[in-house]
Amino acid sequence: MNQRDLELLSAYLDGQLKPSDSARLETRLKTDPQLASVLTDLRATRSLLRKLPARKAPRNFTLTRKMVGQNPPLPRAYPIFRFATALATLLFFFSFGLNTVGRQMASQTSGFGMGGGGGGAEESAQSLAADAPMVATEAPAATEAPLEGLAPASTLVPPDVADAARTAETPVLKTGDAANADELNQAQNEVQSPVPWISSAWQIGLAVIAVGSALFMLLIHQISARRWK
Amino acid sequence: MNEQALIQDAQGGSLDAFNTLVLHYQDSVFNTALRILGDEDQAADASQEAFISAFKSISSFRGGSFKGWLMRTVTNACYDELRRQKRRPTTPLEPDARRDDGEEMDSPRWLADPNMTPDQKAEADEVEHAIQHCLNNLPLEFKTVVVMADIQGMDYTEVATSIRVPLGTIKSRLARARLRLRECLQGFAELLPASYRLEEGINIS
Repeated sequence: MNQRDLELLSAYLDGQLKPSDSARLETRLKTDPQLASVLTDLRATRSLLRKLPARKAPRNFTLTRKMVGQNPPLPRAYPIFRFATALATLLFFFSFGLNTVGRQMASQTSGFGMGGGGGGAEESAQSLAADAPMVATEAPAATEAPLEGLAPASTLVPPDVADAARTAETPVLKTGDAANADELNQAQNEVQSPVPWISSAWQIGLAVIAVGSALFMLLIHQISARRWK
Repeated sequence: MNEQALIQDAQGGSLDAFNTLVLHYQDSVFNTALRILGDEDQAADASQEAFISAFKSISSFRGGSFKGWLMRTVTNACYDELRRQKRRPTTPLEPDARRDDGEEMDSPRWLADPNMTPDQKAEADEVEHAIQHCLNNLPLEFKTVVVMADIQGMDYTEVATSIRVPLGTIKSRLARARLRLRECLQGFAELLPASYRLEEGINIS
């Protein structure tokens, strides 16, 4: 018995031979008892396998949506909200970064300028405290633009009139000096803490868009899931 | 059951349609896995994996025998399971189902048919164990072909399409698998019913 005969017998058993091959094999089977015996054995083996009891599945293998990672169908507008949330969140955090960088740059710039401008302001403040009438004329020069608006009305008074009224005005001017010093300090503070590049109003707006859009997405999700069920 | 319509619906994403197909084919799929793996729990896991995989890839089904396509999915799941076992061999937590005298106890799962007498049940159980033992000793590619052709009753073309091998290879593997099974079952001759007793002595050159 060779491999070829074995394959022929197996295929014959399943009716998979061409009619001509089948006829030829049947002729051989009549004259070759060993071939016939192998055929009987193969038939008995196949019969045993076919009679194996078919087992019932121990449980149902039906799938759940979770098993296949299926999500509820979402409205077409959903990606827009997702994009809006992502963009607003990104810009929100970016605005903080931008303001931080802005502050650092401003402090560096004012740091370079402080040697002149800042010193001048301090000097003028000291001179104001020491000599009130001098402040009336010198302060505007020392503090330049910011102090022009802050300068007291006495700065407009001509020097001779101011000299005449010096003794009378001194207490008033002293009071004015104190006010000027405060205003100068404020001005200094304003120079040291510049206006942020992105205003808080924008930041709040971005936060509202990000949170609102995310909440809306959550709502869409829940409604879609409920409808889907 | 309109299989074609269900398949189309499942391809459109209908899980309900697919689950109808699952209920129809789950016994065949489970039996195929059981005969290839030889273990009921592993077969159940492989069957579940096969159905999940089948749903995810059902769009790739282009017609033909759906059963054959499912069989390919389940054989792939079985191969994955066998590879996993090779990588991580496990020791079963269940106690050894052998009595002190060394004789294997009957598992209640094998005694499912209430119409059989205890003797018949015992006999069927023994024959089934013997066949499963012989199947387990076959090379995987032989086992797959013989399970599909002789146990699932698929024709050669279906088997060839399902496991993507030429028809000639299917014929050859099936013939050799049957011969090996026959030789193996000779060792269990006393267990087999008289009508199934095989004659000895096939020498293949």
